[in-house]
Amino acid sequence: MLKLQTGKRPWSFYALSCFFGLFVLFLYGPMSAIYILSFQGPTGGLTFPMNGVSLRWFSALFAQERTGDFAGAFNRSMILAVMVLLLTVAISVVAGLAFRRRFAGSAFVFYLAVASLIMPGLLVGLGVGLTFQTLGVQTKWFASALGAQLTWTLPFGMLIMFAVFSRFNRAYEEAARDLGATNWQIFLWVVLPILFPGMIAVALFGFTLSYDEFPRTLLTSGAANTLPMEIWGMTTNVTSPALYALGTVTTLVSFIAIALALGSIAIIQFRRSRRPVGKETSAKE
Amino acid sequence: MKVSPALTSYLQIGPLLLVLLLFFGIPLLVVIAYSFFQFDGLDSIPAFDFVNYVDVLTSEVTLSLYLKTLYYAVVVWAITLLIGFTVAYFLAFHIQSMIWQMALLLLCTVPFWTSNIIRMISWIPFLGRNGIFNNALIGAGITDEPLEFLLFSDFAVIIAYVHLFTLFMIVPIFNAMARIDKSLIEAALDGGASAWRIIWDIVVPLSKTGIALGSIFVVTLVMGDFFVVKVMSGSQSASVAMAMSNQIAMVQYPPAAASAVILLIVVSLMVAAILRIVDVRKEIAG
Amino acid sequence: MNPGDRRTAERGSIDLAGVTKRFGETTAVKNIDLKIPGGCYCCLLGPSGCGKTTILRMIAGHESPTEGAVLIDGEDVVGKPPIDRGTAMMFQSYALFPHLTCMDNVAFNLKVRGVVKAERRARALEMLDRVRMKSFADRLPAQLSGGQQQRIALARSLITNPRVLLLDEPLSALDEFLRLQMRGELRHIQAEFGITFIHVTHTQMEAIALADMVVVMDQGQIEQAASAREVYDRPRTAYVAHFMGGQNVLGGTVTERRAGTVTIASGKKSITVTAPPSPPAVGARFEVAVRRDRVRLSRAPSEKVDAGVNGVSGRVTAVEYQGTWLKISIEDACSEGFVANVPDGVFFSDPLTIGDPVLAHWDPEQLHFLAAGSGKTSGTATANPTETQTVAAAS
Repeated sequence: MLKLQTGKRPWSFYALSCFFGLFVLFLYGPMSAIYILSFQGPTGGLTFPMNGVSLRWFSALFAQERTGDFAGAFNRSMILAVMVLLLTVAISVVAGLAFRRRFAGSAFVFYLAVASLIMPGLLVGLGVGLTFQTLGVQTKWFASALGAQLTWTLPFGMLIMFAVFSRFNRAYEEAARDLGATNWQIFLWVVLPILFPGMIAVALFGFTLSYDEFPRTLLTSGAANTLPMEIWGMTTNVTSPALYALGTVTTLVSFIAIALALGSIAIIQFRRSRRPVGKETSAKE
Repeated sequence: MKVSPALTSYLQIGPLLLVLLLFFGIPLLVVIAYSFFQFDGLDSIPAFDFVNYVDVLTSEVTLSLYLKTLYYAVVVWAITLLIGFTVAYFLAFHIQSMIWQMALLLLCTVPFWTSNIIRMISWIPFLGRNGIFNNALIGAGITDEPLEFLLFSDFAVIIAYVHLFTLFMIVPIFNAMARIDKSLIEAALDGGASAWRIIWDIVVPLSKTGIALGSIFVVTLVMGDFFVVKVMSGSQSASVAMAMSNQIAMVQYPPAAASAVILLIVVSLMVAAILRIVDVRKEIAG
Repeated sequence: MNPGDRRTAERGSIDLAGVTKRFGETTAVKNIDLKIPGGCYCCLLGPSGCGKTTILRMIAGHESPTEGAVLIDGEDVVGKPPIDRGTAMMFQSYALFPHLTCMDNVAFNLKVRGVVKAERRARALEMLDRVRMKSFADRLPAQLSGGQQQRIALARSLITNPRVLLLDEPLSALDEFLRLQMRGELRHIQAEFGITFIHVTHTQMEAIALADMVVVMDQGQIEQAASAREVYDRPRTAYVAHFMGGQNVLGGTVTERRAGTVTIASGKKSITVTAPPSPPAVGARFEVAVRRDRVRLSRAPSEKVDAGVNGVSGRVTAVEYQGTWLKISIEDACSEGFVANVPDGVFFSDPLTIGDPVLAHWDPEQLHFLAAGSGKTSGTATANPTETQTVAAAS
């Protein structure tokens, strides 16, 4: 039974809560196991029990012979992720502006983006790799891989901007025009600040999807590896908890990015939606 | 200088279109072109030849690869749909506070923003012979011997898929459910309908666009995967994309391109089949 | 009372000449001519979709007329950007910039014009003071109540020193109590600034309470433009009478003309009323209106009794107590329900109950002759005012 009146919750609420709890455990349980195992003692192996606690496997990451070029791969991944972030935000926002008007070919661009979104990543990587080879240009992580990753982040950015613009009240722009603002002033002082939380969300997608991207990058990054490819290499030839240490480090980076993004969105939304004191309305529907 | 609205639109859509054409449209055409090239064991020779397609389509391996991949796709689709629907239903109809809804949805979403490979290998210490799961089973006295089938098996592959892709079901289904007018359900309750009837007659039909979108995501992700099946099956199983990645690793580009085109056609047919059942255009076009 | 007499000299006069606006196939505004004197509080009144907001947006410069001219103080402003017109618009939900404080919202126009920060602050604070919102300068819009948001929106518009302030349903976002309060404030601010206010609304009472001039619209055309009293008391057409409410509209085909009287029939019923100076021909359509509160009721032996001139007879179908008066509905008199508003003292001296046969009479000077309207068959119009209002509010 659905809970529609206040009062006792139905049994199904508790059953579904348990189901949801188990699902969250399923999501996070295995992940937390490798975070713990990355602190494995020097003689510990890939599974429990823990043979002591140490940071040995983290320091092993920086020992070249064991794990390859971790520091270099990390740098490349970060730079690439920031480039993808900036391009995804900029291109998605202006594309979102374009889609507010009808124009000939808008459906084509839309379906092209959706097709790009659901295209198997390996195929995109193969295509970009072959294109570069045909043109006689070497694949590079900052060129071919960047482009291949954008075919995956831009459709997400576009769909998020659709959602953002669908809630954007055109009266804000008209009010600004009414007050004498030029098109550029309207965009800079009114549209951009109001869209800002949505842009952070796009940035989060751009950064994390690039930072962890594997199937599209595999065939397009050229001679130098990005971090996910380092990890991929390690899964096949490293049999020590250093693999987990690497997993812990990259997940930490992801978590920091997520926390920064969600935190700033939450702060902005909270500031903009705070009701006056004494007029507190309940969040319930 | 005044720019006409139409020109403004094209200037604004230009960058997106350019990236998509350069890194998606043209590469796709290049793959199709390569699929007709000849391959002499070392080099790709430009030609217009169906030999790669003939090779792929007459190979006995192809059918078994597709059957295996489809098996994964169907099983994973069914499991993620069940979990995704249940979780979305719980969030949409049992959680009344918007803030809690968002918080719990984010809890499901956060892993999506972390590395798929890390999330996949995190199952290794869990499912291994001396893994957490086996130890727990032995500790609880459920089994004496560690279960061997947990890791490096179809079971492990499917578990990893479900772990990685369920979110792609939850979010679209939740979005669709969140738009269902709650008074419809109150009306049905007033009319004496049972909870099951309400789910089947109201919630499922009204969230079918979400179900279709989620299904498209999950099916295309599984059909295009090569690394989960490789690691989690311990190279004992294979998928279409994995076989293709092996061909690529051996620089057999024309045969790989032909496999890619065939895979693309199969995936497109599956997506088209889903779209034929449910029209999702309204949903994604906002 | 006519605002045109004393205010034409003030700036901010509006002249719409032959204005038409089409959106693709649909025509939102049909060839409208309208003169609004400067310094006047003008309400554009009509159901949703009647074109009133389109007119407002064309004056503001957010839409361009398909045909015709928009003149402000005699100057054609079509094609000019809003700020060069000397107009300022207050949007329906105020459209306060959610990321800016009240101060920055009010100072937005000054920032656009490149006024230095210190002066911006000083002038914004001064304006905030005039709308009694100085102490809220550093709040964000979401932290304000609806009424406070409206005052900030007013301040933001007024700081541009406009000749004309355009208000799009300014009170619709407020609850009933605040609506009455802000209604008073709007009138007060208009008087203080002495500029033209053009206020779009679908609420009759709001228009009557506020406006010097009420423009009643329907389907892209002006039905009547006159003072509030005239629109309410002497509606030009049956549509206006229905929409404003408070009137009994009696209409039908003329069946007989006698000395000084006309008999009109609708269906099986007929009534006889005093004839206008130039009586209509037999067979023509003819409509009259009588205010509900100008009707006298008396008991009749049966509902079949002849009502004579300027009267109807019938049975009471509903009695609604309204406090100081009672609303008495009488069975179909001439094509629609006839209503008499009876003072409570008069009613309770001899209370009527449902089913009682009654006679309703009015003095000849209370009879008001309606124009044929703009091509509508107004006799059968569904425009029950309260219904129209609900529909408009819901859409």
